[in-house]
Amino acid sequence: MLNLMLQLQMLLAALSAFLPLVPSDSRVRVAEILDMAAKALAAGGVVAVNLDDLARKLADVRSEVEAMAAAGRVLTSEDLDAAMAHVRTASAAFRAALETAEAQPN
Amino acid sequence: MRHSLRAIVLCCALALTPACASIGQPPVANPVAAAKTLDQRAYALLRTYAALVEEATDIVGDPATPRAVSRALGQAERIATPAAETLTVAVGAYLRAQADFNALSGQSQPALERASLALTIAAQGLNQAIAAAQAPIGELEHHVRAGRG
Repeated sequence: MLNLMLQLQMLLAALSAFLPLVPSDSRVRVAEILDMAAKALAAGGVVAVNLDDLARKLADVRSEVEAMAAAGRVLTSEDLDAAMAHVRTASAAFRAALETAEAQPN
Repeated sequence: MRHSLRAIVLCCALALTPACASIGQPPVANPVAAAKTLDQRAYALLRTYAALVEEATDIVGDPATPRAVSRALGQAERIATPAAETLTVAVGAYLRAQADFNALSGQSQPALERASLALTIAAQGLNQAIAAAQAPIGELEHHVRAGRG
C-alpha cells in the first residue's frame, strides 16, 4: 500500500513539473488543485502507515502465539508480567495523549 | 465553482486511496485464533490489546482526528483496561493452580483431587475473564478501525 502512495506522490510531483506549460490564466488554479491533492495524499499516507503498523504488530503477536502453541509451551509468570507491563505502558501513553488532545482548542 | 468541485472530488479520491488499496489484501491476523490453550489465549488477547491501545494513541495524537472519535476511544479504553487487569489476575491464578497440580504428581489421591478442583475453578475463572475482556477489547478495535477508516 505504501508503494502505491509513493507512486501517486511521485506522479503528483511529475505533474507539478509540467505546471509552467499550463496556460497562465489557469496556472494558479491548477497549482491549487495539485497542492490540495498533495495534502489529501499525505493524509492518506498517514492512515496507510498506521494501518500497516497495526497489521504488522498483530501478525508478530500471532507468530509468537503460533510458536508457543506449536511448542506446547506453557505461559510463564514472566511472559504474563511483560504482557501486562506493555498494556499498562500503552494505556498510560494513551491517557496522556487523550488529555493533550482534550486540552487543544476546537 | 466547477473547478472547486473537481478539486474536492480529486481530494476525496486520493484520501480514499489507502482504503481502496487495502481491498484484496490478506485479512489482519487474529492472534487469539492461533492459541491452543487457555493461557495462550489470554496472552494473545493481552498482546492484541496492547497493540490496539498503541494504535489508538496514534489516532488520538493526530490533530485531524475528530473530538468525538477521541472521546469514543477514551471511553472504550477506560472499560477495556480494567478488564485486561482482571484477566491478568485470572491468568496468574490459573498458572499457580496448574503449577501446584503438576507439582503433586505421585502424591496422595485426596491432595491430587484438591489440586485438580482448584485448577478446574481457576480455569473456569480464566475462561470467564477472557470472555469478559473480549467484548470491551472488541469495542476498542471497532473504534480504532473506524478512526482509521
